[in-house]
Amino acid sequence: MIRYIIRRLLISIPILLIGSFACYVLVASAGNPLAEMRFRPGVTEADIKAAEISLGLDKPVFVRYWNWLTDFLSGDWGQSIALGQAKTAVFPAVTDALWTTGRLVIGAELLALTLGVSVGVLAAVRQYSIFDYLATSTAFLMFSMPIFCVAVIVKNYGIQFNNVLESMGLERWLTTAGPRPGGFSGSFGEVIFKYTGTFLLPTVALMLISFAAYSRFERASMLEILHSDFVRTARAKGISQSRVIFRHAFRNALIPVATLFSLNFGGVLSGAIITETVFGWAGMGTLLVNSVRQFDPPMLMGWLAVTATLIVLFNLVADVVYGILDPRIRLG
Amino acid sequence: MANINLAPEGGVVNSAPQSDSHEFDATKTRTQGQLVLRRFLRHRLAMVSFGVFVFLILFAFIGPLIWTYDFEDVSSKAYQPMSGTHPLGTTQVGKDMLALLMRGTGYSLQIALIVAALATAIGVIFGALAGYLRGFVDTALMRLVDLLLIIPQIAVAAIVVKGFSGSWYVVALVLAAFAWMQIARITRGETLSLSQREFIEAARACGATTPRIIFKHLVPNMIGSITVNATLAIATAVLTEAALSFLGLGVQPPDTSLGVIVLENYGQFLNRPWLFWGPFIVLVSLSLAVNFIGDGLRDAFDPRQTKVRA
Amino acid sequence: MRRTKALPAIALLASASLVLGACGGGGGGNNADGGDATIADMATARGESADGYTAPETKQSGQIVVTTDKPFTSYNNATEDANQSYNTFALVLVQPGAHILNGNNKFSLNKDVMESIEVTSKSPQVVTWKLKKGVSWSDGEAWDCDDFYMAWFTQSNAAKKADKGKYFKPAGTTGYDLMTGECKDDQTFVGTFAEPYPDYIGLFNNDVLPAHIVEKQTGFADITKLTKDSPPADLQKVADFWNEKWNGFTKELMPGAGPYVLTGFEPNQSVTLERNPKWAGKPGGPEKIVLKAVSDPVAQAQALENGEVAVNSMAQPDANAATKLKSLKPQGITFGAGPGLSFEHLDLQFKNPVLAKEEVRKAFFMCVKRQDIIDKLITEVQSDAKPLGSLIFFPKDEGYKDVYGDKAKGDPAAAKKILGDAGWTQGADGVFAKDGVRASFRISHTDIPRRKQTVELIQGQCKEAGIEVKDDTDPNFLDERVSAGDYDVALFAWSGSPLKSEKKSIYETGGGQNWQNLSVPAADEAFKSGVSQTSISDSLKYFQKADEEIANAYGSLPLFQMPNMWAFKGLDRVYFQSYYGALWNANEWQTK
Repeated sequence: MIRYIIRRLLISIPILLIGSFACYVLVASAGNPLAEMRFRPGVTEADIKAAEISLGLDKPVFVRYWNWLTDFLSGDWGQSIALGQAKTAVFPAVTDALWTTGRLVIGAELLALTLGVSVGVLAAVRQYSIFDYLATSTAFLMFSMPIFCVAVIVKNYGIQFNNVLESMGLERWLTTAGPRPGGFSGSFGEVIFKYTGTFLLPTVALMLISFAAYSRFERASMLEILHSDFVRTARAKGISQSRVIFRHAFRNALIPVATLFSLNFGGVLSGAIITETVFGWAGMGTLLVNSVRQFDPPMLMGWLAVTATLIVLFNLVADVVYGILDPRIRLG
Repeated sequence: MANINLAPEGGVVNSAPQSDSHEFDATKTRTQGQLVLRRFLRHRLAMVSFGVFVFLILFAFIGPLIWTYDFEDVSSKAYQPMSGTHPLGTTQVGKDMLALLMRGTGYSLQIALIVAALATAIGVIFGALAGYLRGFVDTALMRLVDLLLIIPQIAVAAIVVKGFSGSWYVVALVLAAFAWMQIARITRGETLSLSQREFIEAARACGATTPRIIFKHLVPNMIGSITVNATLAIATAVLTEAALSFLGLGVQPPDTSLGVIVLENYGQFLNRPWLFWGPFIVLVSLSLAVNFIGDGLRDAFDPRQTKVRA
Repeated sequence: MRRTKALPAIALLASASLVLGACGGGGGGNNADGGDATIADMATARGESADGYTAPETKQSGQIVVTTDKPFTSYNNATEDANQSYNTFALVLVQPGAHILNGNNKFSLNKDVMESIEVTSKSPQVVTWKLKKGVSWSDGEAWDCDDFYMAWFTQSNAAKKADKGKYFKPAGTTGYDLMTGECKDDQTFVGTFAEPYPDYIGLFNNDVLPAHIVEKQTGFADITKLTKDSPPADLQKVADFWNEKWNGFTKELMPGAGPYVLTGFEPNQSVTLERNPKWAGKPGGPEKIVLKAVSDPVAQAQALENGEVAVNSMAQPDANAATKLKSLKPQGITFGAGPGLSFEHLDLQFKNPVLAKEEVRKAFFMCVKRQDIIDKLITEVQSDAKPLGSLIFFPKDEGYKDVYGDKAKGDPAAAKKILGDAGWTQGADGVFAKDGVRASFRISHTDIPRRKQTVELIQGQCKEAGIEVKDDTDPNFLDERVSAGDYDVALFAWSGSPLKSEKKSIYETGGGQNWQNLSVPAADEAFKSGVSQTSISDSLKYFQKADEEIANAYGSLPLFQMPNMWAFKGLDRVYFQSYYGALWNANEWQTK
């Protein structure tokens, strides 16, 4: 197992190199981060040239990439070169953004996974029941729904809900624009209450979409397994219904969902980016859009490095989880 | 899922009915194609969806020829409410929302169809080559897939669109560059198992070239899953394009799309709801319709499915 | 549509010195419900009087969250890397300067920290800034002449390396580079100008940073001993600190001498200000202000609607957010919009063979319906927006005269007549032509949707006049292309300034930013006289003359000022000052 993991990681190194080079060249040739300097009073073309030289922008792209790469590998993620960014260090900027997005994603995905899998299993076990039809059609609808519309709708009705709370003499509970700066105060219960209010709306928006995919997948794979020979055999042996479902079927039906969960990382990421844009959170989405818009290669490379690494890890986790869920698959 | 147990040589058109044709009166033999068509036609939801899809195509491409306002016409006043002259009101610059919606639907459809076609073509060719030839080709393909999996699509779209061009066909190309992998993976899997079958060996023994084997023998036997996945690729492309455009990382003006229209108007959700719900309903019906068609096709192609009785 | 409001007596007195009358810039201009001030009134600070600004008695209140578009990045906004308005929006309360600039862009002497500013000699021009005694930074060190000296020295770029490179990297050097400064005593800074500089009033209003921090951190004992002839090692040491060490947030390095101090910072998210216990003026205002970045304007508006924040401030207009905010009036939200700093304009390239012909320029000016563009793009945000009538003055400035109104009437028939009279004939495609040259050109701009829409509107308008306008959207247009003059017509924005000398390099023959190759000798002459006066009031008439001459050359058509917009709830007066943001007078805010 360990050898397998190491081999997989080694294989991803050349891929990461090629990918990072391609991205660097693309973004570095897309535009000049110092273009807007021309509009500052009293700035001459010579000043811009001098600034370009001090940032190393005059060097060929290959040299710049090489410098970035060697710095990066020695642990220096560099600084933003965009105007007005005051040379923000890349590493903390990316990790902060990741934390903002991550809090959203983790909550939403855990909820979606739990709900999706339970609804999928129930729908499969009670195939063609009212519950099944309801669950299937809801999932189908959410699956065909653009996530940004869901987010817009959830947010607007969340605010309406607050208005209702207020008209009933209660405190406004749900917030939209992200965690309150400086954190929350009050008793433990109050903090939990406020924390929930902060995260509920975006989490629900993001969860609804993922939930649809998980429940659809779980239902399909559960159905297939319930109709398979070994489950029929188990039933024939007189094993109880619940034991058949949980010990035999459920475990196997998790495999495709586990794949989806880990391979879908890119999709979840873009879902989170959209949700946080609608809610005005400054996470990975804002960071990506700003660094591309300002032609800021160091920041963008930091962004890509983090996301690419996460994707590699998630793919690896998927394979390892396979091995655990399905002993027939031998890694190595 | 896959119809790999269909008749070998002749592919779809010439193949004999399957042994499980107990569903039909065996007085007349039908071709596989007829069977599929028959099953699809009896899939009620899929047929309704097909109707919706055709309607949307007419709406997008014939609508502008009939409708009074041109999507470029900015002569009307800004933010007119719904009325007889402007059924969906006007936008900030005074464009007729209905005309704009037709145009946006057109672009979204155009993009989605091109993405699906490109992704299917690339996916099938790559997948079949990798599955059939194995070895080096297979490894190279898997590495390419790995590479594309590592770089988030959203980042590539952002860089290309912001740095170079945000025309609709550029967005379509970026989407296609990431959409073919799913189809390639499925095609590769099926090819791996089909290649072991006698009829492929027979064809090879007769000296058939690789392209001939792929296009004459392998692809016809995978037509079911290819069609289904191509349809689903349309739905995915519609939603992905809309999402990218909503972030401002997709289609850029002067081109437009359903995502761009929602982006420009979602802030009017409560104040001028028609500006939001119009594009929203078109977007959702489009993606629902295509998904249902895909479902119907899957049922029609899959002889094991008993849900839709003939 | 523009309303002139009767101002309270105190404000009128104050305005008399520089501004003749304030124009209602408010989107509503109506009474903020419950309060007694109109939006237009809010443009003046309560503490203003005829001879300057003193922080007034203000009821203290609790925490306030204010949103704006982009995050705070640096305590030193004077550097090339850090310079952006969103830093100023927070620093205006932390780093006091010689003047306060109110919502109408009128200067008032900041009397809480200043005694006087005087021109003590006209030739050479010598200006003396007298600082008030007893003003200190929040860490206890005096706020005095050292700080002025450092502000001048670092931004003058007087110190040059042997290879002509810079030690300090200021974002701009305007004014400071003409000056030689010295500290007569702790409270007296004397600047001697190499050539007359009428806009000295614009110096030392921001970016006066704590010199004692630099001294402590670099070990260079007395910053006033640092001159352009100091040893390179010393210059480098100080420059290294000044250029970069104030980026981000480090509490000990960033004291405040204004009414507030920075106390907290979350990168990319927010910066927190708290009342400065050592503030020299009257204390007041919210106990804590959180300035939070929310990039999406609709999200900002919804956060206000949802009661999460108390103030929205947006430097970029957004129709969707404006609709939302205006509709929230019944819930006690006051919305304001006023013309902002930057203005969109069309620059015509004189090297272009078609546009070199005056009748084409004239006809083009005539066909553009500016009011129509404004109605479509701006009115939803600022209902009383008007076409801008000057390249040099804003309507609120003293000296403003509309010199474009009769040149750009949006009259296609008149435009046709101009071309017809000059011997052009309309071809089969409806486009005028003469001697095989068609009245056809591109408008180049970056990929901002508003610009794209502007061009779309102009295309339609000028088509009626037989002029073909093509759209050229290029995301990189503002890079090399604009400065190389690689365009027919360029659509972009200039930032205005209450100081007019900066306009010289844009419009004089061969000026550094005159990329359109405009050459109007009479305007050159007027500019030259304008910048050689020693006060703004003396120079005004020359700039007016220059403005008129440029207009007569049909070289550049101003379209409109981009509005700022803001909204608030539960406070008595908030006005978005176009340079300094919503917080410029936050020490005067009182809860209702």
